[in-house]
Amino acid sequence: MTAQAPLTPTKTVEMRDENTILEVNNLKMHFPITKGISTRVRGWVKAADDVSFFLRQGETLGLVGESGCGKTTVGRCIVRAYKPTAGEILYRNEDGSVVDLAALKPDEVRPYRKDIRMVFQDPYSSLNPRMTVLELISEVLKVNKLESSDTIQTRVGALLEKVGMRPEYMQRYPHAFSGGERQRIVVARALITNPRIIVCDEAVSALDVSIRAQILNLLESLQKEFNLTYLFISHDLSVIRHICNRIVVMYVGKVVEVSDALEIYTGPRHPYTEALLSSVPLADPNGREGRQRIHLEGEIADPSNPPSGCYFHPRCQYAKERCKTDAPELRDLGGNHFVACHFAEDLKLAAVIK
Amino acid sequence: MDNTLIDVKDLKVHFFTDEGVVRAVDGVDLKLERGRTLSLVGESGCGKSVACRALMQIVRNPGKVVAGEILYNRGAEGGQAEIIDIAKMDPKGKEIRDIRGKEISMIFQEPMTSLSPMYTVGNQIIENILLHTNLTKEQARDLAIKLLDQVGIPRADRLVDEYPFRLSGGMRQRSMIAMALSCNPNLLIADEPTTALDVTTQANILDLMSDLQKSYNMTLLFITHDLGVVAEIADEVAVMYLGKIVEKSDVYTIFNSPRHPYTQALLKSIPKIAIKREDLDPIKGMVPNPFRRPGGCPFHPRCPQAFAECKVLVPTTTQLTPNHSVQCLLYENFANRIATEQKQ
Repeated sequence: MTAQAPLTPTKTVEMRDENTILEVNNLKMHFPITKGISTRVRGWVKAADDVSFFLRQGETLGLVGESGCGKTTVGRCIVRAYKPTAGEILYRNEDGSVVDLAALKPDEVRPYRKDIRMVFQDPYSSLNPRMTVLELISEVLKVNKLESSDTIQTRVGALLEKVGMRPEYMQRYPHAFSGGERQRIVVARALITNPRIIVCDEAVSALDVSIRAQILNLLESLQKEFNLTYLFISHDLSVIRHICNRIVVMYVGKVVEVSDALEIYTGPRHPYTEALLSSVPLADPNGREGRQRIHLEGEIADPSNPPSGCYFHPRCQYAKERCKTDAPELRDLGGNHFVACHFAEDLKLAAVIK
Repeated sequence: MDNTLIDVKDLKVHFFTDEGVVRAVDGVDLKLERGRTLSLVGESGCGKSVACRALMQIVRNPGKVVAGEILYNRGAEGGQAEIIDIAKMDPKGKEIRDIRGKEISMIFQEPMTSLSPMYTVGNQIIENILLHTNLTKEQARDLAIKLLDQVGIPRADRLVDEYPFRLSGGMRQRSMIAMALSCNPNLLIADEPTTALDVTTQANILDLMSDLQKSYNMTLLFITHDLGVVAEIADEVAVMYLGKIVEKSDVYTIFNSPRHPYTQALLKSIPKIAIKREDLDPIKGMVPNPFRRPGGCPFHPRCPQAFAECKVLVPTTTQLTPNHSVQCLLYENFANRIATEQKQ
């Protein structure tokens, strides 16, 4: 018998500071385009192209953008549902050692799967209808041999209570529950391994407004109790405003702006962020006549054939010659505000909150 | 001059399923004024879509319009009133088919599933035009191109021959709107037309719809669950809960001084961009199972202000001001009703 290979690679990597739990550097996820049964690659969909950001311990980071901007792809790379094409996903273990999740082989990722969990959008399709709640939640414990089978029931029961459901229901099947209850089950399933990071992919988008508020409050109280870090992926800027500490705005596979949550709303620095914010309908009819909305012309760019220079330039009302040729880098404007726009300093952009 | 286009009185639509009768729409009164936008708001399952489908007599089996009137004034604006009752029409009859798609048309939520993948966009628009007008095929095609151009589709003369899968979600919804407008409808019903779209596209579609409403002088019935969209587009708002309209008024009154506890709770439960709150106030519990409707006021199990009578008495409509009505015992003088109902 040969000795088992060590699960953590020995390569040592550095992260920005002690408080950072996850750091994504130049992450690329390109999907090949093939046609028919031919395996010849005709092109690449650059779903995530040079994405960099970091997550601080205990915070909620919002990832926003229109559909097709690559926000879900980034989330899936972090839970290693995809193997990224290039880039680093640095994760700090509880003991302080750092590992690059992007470089790990499938069996090497396994120990980290319990630390980084995911909550999906649609609780109707993310729960197997033929498994009971107990089986659904405890499957991960069994597969990873994290808990002996005689104590599993108590543990699942205790957790169900934490997410606001009655433990007696654990023998029922998902069809017996409403959308809000199902989403609680999905949250419990993510929590059962005592994770440190939860990737919430549009976790409340499919829910009714009254239920949405319940789940948002639940996520917030669980975060305090278990010291969780959330990566909250959403297209809904009012939900993001409510729950997030910091925000990353993406457009066609690239990060265009990163900032503290309030700053995005009081002083956006990227024209795309400005346009995105101005199109959010405000739940207040007073003064709606005078409200100016920015209309984005045309369609969101095709990630397999993006425009030259800045990807946003064909729709940007401030675009100049330089934008057509030079791709802007994500730069630090100070105060943890990062923007990928050549003219960020010169533009006077409208804010939603004065 | 009475400006009412459609007057819905005590409309009831029930679904006769094997498990029992679902009272999806349970006594709805609505007045649609010409050229105005009425927004019907509520959570999923409150009956808002069914109520609107009833206006076109396209309620799916096993649903049936069991009671009530849908009085539709067919006459031209300002002209002689010509009132007919849609509720009495045979859903498959010629009468309603003349109105459907011509005088009353509808846009649905999912632009992908509501356009046929087998026909080009142009084909589908032209079909509707040929059915309801005397235009020739060529004229119909020219009109279709004109309409597509009007709803902001670039290169309309080429896209008219494209199949829906070649278009993006926003473009599909625009072609749905073009189709709905093709016969100059009096009433356009929009059932969650922007829910499946991105915010940026949604903003464009909403602006397009209000522009078109002005130029066509249409009445717009806008169904949505998104209170932000309501605040942007509505003139009047009707809030629905479990098949009943619990509150109805103009948009400013609904947002500035809602009176029904459900409307108040709904407004409190949404996160707002402008104000950061520590905790949202969710509505406790959930929408009840349609087979086990609570007695009395349907909202009482979730209502923070419920009192003993709410469990037994079904609230009737109370007119607070001429344009503000509410169905809630808090505002109703129900003392007499208790006496009479106990006698029975």
